[in-house]
Amino acid sequence: MLPTIFLLLACQLLGETFHRLTGLALPGSVIGMILLFAWLALVPRERPTLTIVTGWLTAHLAVMFVPAAVGLVNEGEALKADGVGLVVATAISTFLTMAVTALVFRWALNRFGPLDTVETESDSPA
Amino acid sequence: MTGLLATSLFWLAVTLGVFEAADTVSKRSGRRPLLHPVLWSTPVLIGLLLWTGTPYETYQQATFPISFLLGPAVVGLAVPVWAQRARIRRLAVPIVLALGAGAITSIVSAVGVLSLFGAPSEILASIAPRATTTPVAMAIAGQLGGVPALAAVIVLFAGVIGAMFATPLLNLLNVRDYRARGFAVGVAAHGIGAARAFQVDSTAGAMASLGMALNAATTAALLSILVLLV
Repeated sequence: MLPTIFLLLACQLLGETFHRLTGLALPGSVIGMILLFAWLALVPRERPTLTIVTGWLTAHLAVMFVPAAVGLVNEGEALKADGVGLVVATAISTFLTMAVTALVFRWALNRFGPLDTVETESDSPA
Repeated sequence: MTGLLATSLFWLAVTLGVFEAADTVSKRSGRRPLLHPVLWSTPVLIGLLLWTGTPYETYQQATFPISFLLGPAVVGLAVPVWAQRARIRRLAVPIVLALGAGAITSIVSAVGVLSLFGAPSEILASIAPRATTTPVAMAIAGQLGGVPALAAVIVLFAGVIGAMFATPLLNLLNVRDYRARGFAVGVAAHGIGAARAFQVDSTAGAMASLGMALNAATTAALLSILVLLV
């Protein structure tokens, strides 16, 4: 368990370091995600503990952003001024994004197709 | 007695308790998007802060152990993507094209429509990462000079309406392929959309989680490139 937690924190720390050195707007945790992906590709092997730990984290993601969402208590002014715009823009953007993504995906699927049309069980993690 | 209201012990217990209650209601409803636990525990906790006269900064520090977990959780999103590498390779072209189109549409339409309302730049920065999963959106919004709390709530709202309208919208567009449907829901409505997609079809659900994780990285990259250019 401890090596797994270390792996996650080490990726995040490296990401954070990279972020600070380059001043890139990419958050340290997102760079860490890319680093972890690279690590999994470079050193391929079974990692049952990593799957369990990240599965647990993902399953409890919702509660982790409650403290930040409560920060809205300080945003009364912004909500009063821009609340309507935020609701309208979010709704329109969500619908448009879903439509564009689905249509482009379908078009590309018909045009270029999957390299292998049958979705098989080999999809599950090797 | 009043000192207790400034401790981690108190606010961690209260936050988890309130969240658990909201989560139980959500579970009993069969995970209806409108009963998302964050949507209901947040106003209750805000009410408790106002009632006890606790400043948000005190609450924020007290609940740091919970928010700290967001970082490692974001890093861990690499694992489900890695598990789906075979599918990604097979669907590489549709995934890359749809992801690019979706991520750009999301940023441009959200910022574009909101700027028509004359919103100031820190509000625009808060809506730009609208389509990513909440922890990533908060991190990006913070980077861009936006308000993480606002980003969190915008993302939640996007997830809720995305999950509610995915089926009618995609039926209307006559997109029947579950891979295309699931991927679109994940890109547009992140985890809440993915949860809804899993209720409909397991392929759609897997594609939705893939869309969510890939879009988190893509939107973050696009916005940081944008920042370098501007």
